[in-house]
Amino acid sequence: MADITAPQRRSFSLDGLTLRYAVLVGLIVIASIGFSMANENFYSMTNIGILLRSISVLFLVSMGMTFVMLTGGIDLSVGSNVAFSGGVGVVTLVSTGSPWLGFAAAILAGMAIGWINGFFIGKLQLSAFMVTLATFAAARGLALVIYDADSINVHDPVFLWLGGTSWGNLPVVIPFVALMFVALSILLYKTTFGRDVYATGSNFNTAFVLGRQPGRKLIWVYVLTGALAGLSAIITVGRVSSGQPWTGLYLEFDAITAVILGGTALAGGRGKLLGTILGVLLYGIIINGLVLTGTNPYLQSVIKGAILLGVVLLDTYTQRGKA
Amino acid sequence: MQDFGKLFRENNIIFVTLALCLVFFLISPRFLSVDNMSAISRQIVPIGLIALGQFFVVVSGNIDLSMGMGSVLFAIVLGVIFGVTGGVALGIVAVIVFSLAFGFVNGLLVAKLKLPSFIVTLAGLFIAQGLSGLIIPRGQQIFLMGGFFRFVGAEKYFGFYASFLFLVALFALAYVVYNHTRWGAYVIAIGNSEENAKLAGINVDRVKIGIFMFSALCSGFAGVILSSRMGFVQPGLDGNGLLLDGIAAIIIGGTLILGGRGTVTGAFWGLLFIGVTNNALNLLNVTDVWHQVFKGSIILAALGANYVLWQSRQAEAQ
Repeated sequence: MADITAPQRRSFSLDGLTLRYAVLVGLIVIASIGFSMANENFYSMTNIGILLRSISVLFLVSMGMTFVMLTGGIDLSVGSNVAFSGGVGVVTLVSTGSPWLGFAAAILAGMAIGWINGFFIGKLQLSAFMVTLATFAAARGLALVIYDADSINVHDPVFLWLGGTSWGNLPVVIPFVALMFVALSILLYKTTFGRDVYATGSNFNTAFVLGRQPGRKLIWVYVLTGALAGLSAIITVGRVSSGQPWTGLYLEFDAITAVILGGTALAGGRGKLLGTILGVLLYGIIINGLVLTGTNPYLQSVIKGAILLGVVLLDTYTQRGKA
Repeated sequence: MQDFGKLFRENNIIFVTLALCLVFFLISPRFLSVDNMSAISRQIVPIGLIALGQFFVVVSGNIDLSMGMGSVLFAIVLGVIFGVTGGVALGIVAVIVFSLAFGFVNGLLVAKLKLPSFIVTLAGLFIAQGLSGLIIPRGQQIFLMGGFFRFVGAEKYFGFYASFLFLVALFALAYVVYNHTRWGAYVIAIGNSEENAKLAGINVDRVKIGIFMFSALCSGFAGVILSSRMGFVQPGLDGNGLLLDGIAAIIIGGTLILGGRGTVTGAFWGLLFIGVTNNALNLLNVTDVWHQVFKGSIILAALGANYVLWQSRQAEAQ
């Protein structure tokens, strides 16, 4: 075990990470100031609550994506999975009347898509982007089938509680995301599973030779991401009081960008959940600010693409400088 | 018997496609009518162009996610140049130049900066989508009138659409390039092992840039043909659906997603498979919502099947 993680830690200079996090915090401050000058409503407590709630789903999905990208993989299906698992949850709720069965169904449905991804990627060793591109299409299609291409209104207060309730200005979902962050941090940093996630991404073959069963770990990583997509689906439904087949469109793109912004290496094996949290905050503020300032949605799309490309380019250059 | 097994394994997609045609014919005899066949041949042209571009990209071990939205963008470039100047030739030249430039940037980022192709082209997808809506505001259209667009969209020779003949010619050209030129061998070599290709003295970067430029050019043609058929261009078309169909076609056609393996004829049969299924789903009144489920499942199944076949070949070789 130590054989895999020891060189890993050494190559991972703490100074670099601290510097990156400092830069991210700085950028978050600058972006906030910039947008608050452009739009005076930006800094109101209400808007901060709305902002945090609107990116709560991105927090969860991005934390799952961090696990995936630490293994060197990618999951293009999460956005579709949020729509699909939400559909399964809502339909279960409507037909049985039990919100708890609805919760369970949503999370299990998310895990099922995750398991399919994991089976093809971990067991059959197929490329992650191709497998998840297929489930990206299939899960969205299934969502459209379940909803019959129309939204379903939800009234059950228990089902809507997590995504829809606020304590004063604080949406309930924010402490929930914080709780998930702690839980996932323990899983990633304090368990052998977490160490195996890093080992799988650093060097699959070494992990295999050392008996860490990287293939099986990959399956569980994608199942975990699927479960988080299921949770995100519950939150999304709670936020808008209805289940919608087109929800979560391009969510995977936002998550990938936020995770890379947060310093997780594309090649896998390097990165932390804290970075992802900062990445989501910065990215969320930018997106939210663009919406608030009434930017043309097509221009937003160009800006999003440019941010992803810019961050990847920057990372490549700085990493090459160190080598 | 063993020979038949081998024959089936090597050409499974042909058998599957023909069997599918038979099934559809039994369900609905209209399926095999000349009119319907002709309609299929026209429907598959844009998908086929995307598939052909992706074929070389995937054999080289990469992917180009930007080219579905790319073809929407290139069609809009055509529309704007045509709308402003009224010149068809100028519009086509603009599409060719612009698409080659787009592909060049993709290729440059992948080859020179060693960035993963799916990230570069995912960003490209968003940039293409955004640009297409910035050039023409959503909801607006530019109409493409005139002899050229009618020719591309509807002209027939000997009962075949001109655009379909163009596609077949391009596939034939690709077949020759892939199987009988040095460039084709380089693409396979890079897909098998980039390191070895470099050691063998292949200019890997240049070949990769070329592959992405070709993919973008194909996508430019797809945009021209698609918009000529419709008679107008507008942003917000389903470029990603086109891309998914193109990728599905080559995977069903046996192209190994790990790179280094695949045949142009296989890709063509995969294209026919996709064309036939798309058409049959419409003919049988299967609602749109099922199409995506079906596509995704087909890609997964084909990925699994290719993998199993590949493993059995490896086992045979040992």
